[in-house]
Amino acid sequence: MVTRLELVKELAAIVPQDALVVTSIGNNSYFWAELADHEATLFHSTLGMCTPAAFGLAMALPKRKVVALDSDGNLLLNLGVLGTIANENPTNLTVLVMDNGNYLGSHKSAPGMRTASGGKMKLQEVAKGCGIASSHLVSDVASFREKMQSALKSDGPHFVCAKVEPLDTERPPKTKHVLDPRENKYQFAKLIEKAEGVQILGGGLGNFG
Amino acid sequence: MKIEKAKLVVEGLKEAGVDFTAGVPDAQFIQVYKMLEEDPDIRYVGTANEAEAAGVGYGAYFGGKKPALMLATSGLLVATYHLARINILHEVPLLVVIPYRGDIGDPRWMGLYKKTTEPGLNAMDIPYRVVSRSSDIVRTIKECNESARAWLRCIAVILNEEALW
Repeated sequence: MVTRLELVKELAAIVPQDALVVTSIGNNSYFWAELADHEATLFHSTLGMCTPAAFGLAMALPKRKVVALDSDGNLLLNLGVLGTIANENPTNLTVLVMDNGNYLGSHKSAPGMRTASGGKMKLQEVAKGCGIASSHLVSDVASFREKMQSALKSDGPHFVCAKVEPLDTERPPKTKHVLDPRENKYQFAKLIEKAEGVQILGGGLGNFG
Repeated sequence: MKIEKAKLVVEGLKEAGVDFTAGVPDAQFIQVYKMLEEDPDIRYVGTANEAEAAGVGYGAYFGGKKPALMLATSGLLVATYHLARINILHEVPLLVVIPYRGDIGDPRWMGLYKKTTEPGLNAMDIPYRVVSRSSDIVRTIKECNESARAWLRCIAVILNEEALW
């Protein structure tokens, strides 16, 4: 089985700079921050919030490719979002789940406790059953590359479940400052404002503005 | 909720510049949800639960939308984890509009929500206004959203008494 590190490295080489990436808390955020020089990233989406946030972003900016870099435990908390996505059909959205099958394993020397997808549940089948026709399971770098490249070049929504090792025994060296949620808010919002000509921040000047 | 009052809620959202809403339909606000779903100026996304709605609204904000969440008092409890993160950790503004089931005057046994709604908002550090007269609905929604956007905070509008029933 492949590691999260290998796939995040590969993803960093695949995702175009103008695509927007939303990452779940934990090692998806930290690995992505280290390995991808990708300013258009919204980091630290807590359990249940990563894919919904990416979906909301994709709805707001339908001409931009949006990638949710999610994890199994995170997605499982709000699994119903897959049905919402299928019905709303954001063609610019790709949901990528790093499925390590366990809670907390990414931060420990031994696996944590099993998630549902670490048992009998198959997330790619759930996504398909929810109505996301382009739903795939990958477990090696070559098939990951193929499915993600295809997803980023075609209309979705797409769902890619990447089965990864339960433990992140390989980690990138810590060399970068990972933005905290508020720094990230300002940086990301300013980037979108400039690129899309929309106002996100600002206000507060009342009648003086 | 009578249709005339539901229209005022939608009018208030428009006056406030809200162009994106998410939520889960409830009995008191069903007319509001139906109007939003058909309105060409406000995008409505029906979610599977209210925490998901909060996440969707959070993402839409970063795409330049002015989002509002339509939450029942029960749904506010479901959304609490994400709303607390969004408001306290990320400091991202979402307008939250709540029909106040469980307040005094509710003819059904919903008193549970009297114990949870306002204390819950306080615990999440979400300021709110209670609107009791329908004549105040439009102005209050507009003012609350203006403050939310300026303060980078979630702010709630809660409808009770004549404004709701």
